[in-house]
Amino acid sequence: MIIEVENLVKHYGEIKAVDGVSFSVEDGETFGLLGPNGAGKTTLMEILCGLRRFDEGKVTVRGFDLVKDSYKVRGSIGFCPQETLLYDLLSVRENLSFSASLYSLDSKKFKERVDFSAKVLGVGEFLNRRVQQLSGGMKRRANLAASIIHDPPIVILDEPTVGFDPAIKREFWDLIRNLKSYGKTVLLSTHDMHEADEICDRVAIMERGKVAALDKPRNLKETIGGRASIHVRVNASQTKRALAILKEFNGVLGDDEIEISANNPWETMTEVSNKLASQGVLTEKVEIVEPTLEDVFMKLSGRRLTEDSR
Amino acid sequence: MNSIIGIAVKDIKTFFRERGTLFWTIAFPIMILLLFTAIFGRDIPFNANVGVVDNDGTAMTASIITGLNNTGFMTMKEFSSQLEAQKELNATTIRAIITIPQGFTQSLLAQHANVSLVVDGTNPDIAGLIKGGVTTFFSEFYKQVNQNYTEPIKVYDETFYVGQKVGYKENIVPGMLTYPLLFSSMVVSTGAIVLEREKGTLKKIRAAPIRPLNMLFGKTLAALFQTAMSIAIMSVLAVVLLGPRLNWNLPLLIPIFFLGSMNGIALGLIISCVGRAPQEASNAATTIAIVLQFFTGMYFPIDYLPTYMQQIGRVIPMTYAAQALRDIMIRNATLADLLLPMATLAATAAILYGVGVLLYKRWVEK
Repeated sequence: MIIEVENLVKHYGEIKAVDGVSFSVEDGETFGLLGPNGAGKTTLMEILCGLRRFDEGKVTVRGFDLVKDSYKVRGSIGFCPQETLLYDLLSVRENLSFSASLYSLDSKKFKERVDFSAKVLGVGEFLNRRVQQLSGGMKRRANLAASIIHDPPIVILDEPTVGFDPAIKREFWDLIRNLKSYGKTVLLSTHDMHEADEICDRVAIMERGKVAALDKPRNLKETIGGRASIHVRVNASQTKRALAILKEFNGVLGDDEIEISANNPWETMTEVSNKLASQGVLTEKVEIVEPTLEDVFMKLSGRRLTEDSR
Repeated sequence: MNSIIGIAVKDIKTFFRERGTLFWTIAFPIMILLLFTAIFGRDIPFNANVGVVDNDGTAMTASIITGLNNTGFMTMKEFSSQLEAQKELNATTIRAIITIPQGFTQSLLAQHANVSLVVDGTNPDIAGLIKGGVTTFFSEFYKQVNQNYTEPIKVYDETFYVGQKVGYKENIVPGMLTYPLLFSSMVVSTGAIVLEREKGTLKKIRAAPIRPLNMLFGKTLAALFQTAMSIAIMSVLAVVLLGPRLNWNLPLLIPIFFLGSMNGIALGLIISCVGRAPQEASNAATTIAIVLQFFTGMYFPIDYLPTYMQQIGRVIPMTYAAQALRDIMIRNATLADLLLPMATLAATAAILYGVGVLLYKRWVEK
């Protein structure tokens, strides 16, 4: 295990921001902390990066104790917070050079890492432009490049795509997958269930400072999220009739669609389609809707993940 | 690259691209210098009406009065009695009264003569210049009469030194060179840390495997460089624009500049850690610098200030820097003369920087 967290506790006065959190991250894994704002994700990440003290528990990174070997731990981590920590009046290259100086990189290594950033993170096209002249997406890429200029084995990303439009978000997910392909261990926090689902090997769902569940996204959805459902839409004039035909499937009307819960969704979908067709009801849409991490979070906390996060 | 150098290089690059900081550290002092040059940069900054009561009435005293008139900065007005002159002084139509006693000429020949001088102290600046001017005139006059002269007029400590013509521009240039020590170093060091807080970039620095002090040393190095830049530019401009007759003794000036800057930087560091919000700290540094400049003798010797202001000024380290710069540049002070101000500046810099480091560490840990 490259990161091990045991019974971590952090108070802010009376408030317990992190409440007995334990988890471990494997080498080369992309590990997600999923939860709404205020769940304790950022505090947890800042503790791992040595930016905050903790009250109880133990953290080891690559076998080094976070408290006793703080410098070794910090040297192993590239921390990319959600805000862009770049100097607007400096060029991207100058920002990278400054970050490199914090890790005492020599000029040869620095050049290699700039080449890496250009190739993998796509910062080459705007290396010599001042940060204040960059778009939001470019800034984020430059921010990530600066965070990992020292080639750390672990990359910690706090809400890396918050505020991005879907296209840039997907682009950024590709960058994170790229990092994984270079052997990096990625620990990221997000309140975006799709993001966690798309790029994380394992996800810890955090709620009020605690880890409520931890597993692979598929396992979480299967074990906690509940069954898949078939969503059927027919011509509005035939909805009542279709509902009667599908009575044996316990279909319920939700909005303008009939929703049928299914243990074996593919089989059920075929049966439903055939039954409606045999009765002369034309379907406009029949689709399987799998449970999402949103459903998992709702089952665990009784509220929607996105309620607090917008 | 070493992290301290990296932080310093980054700060210096940012400094040259940050218009606000450039204004306060270079453009603003230059504006002040130009302003003072325009107002006071003439050889004779003012002309004062001075009363004279000649109780001796000899040819020599008549020539003294003519000589005083010929200095160009005093217009002499003769009175027949002290009482009459005093009335004029009270009415502020004259700034001072010189009273030549009866038997003055005879006493002078016997190498002992006194002249009394009463100066209107309402404006300490003008009062100081009159005292200095009258003292210098009589000293020069006596020299011509007898080389073994004794000072005829008792005035306060502040006097012009014999043999060197000191005008306002000679006084203002060392004072203005104190400006970067106060403004540039303090505002720059506060700004450098405040900027990191405001931008959140302090997080990035703290996440790196470097000691907290490395950041402070890097920022101190950058602030020293920026202050040195400001001093150099102001010195060149002062020479070009004013042409003051000053002693540019660099081996003595550099340690004073360094120690003065360290005091300013340390003050800036303390302010940046004490301020609850970044903007609050930044505003506090500017306000404190603006207020302190009037107590430190930047624009005029501290002795011209009212007594209570002098006392405040004497607990401000920068006052010693301003005084030391004047001593070096005007009075040709030697290293031995400067040991006390240097020791004072070094001690205060060490104490203030130490306090700053402790506050910074506590703030970081919080």
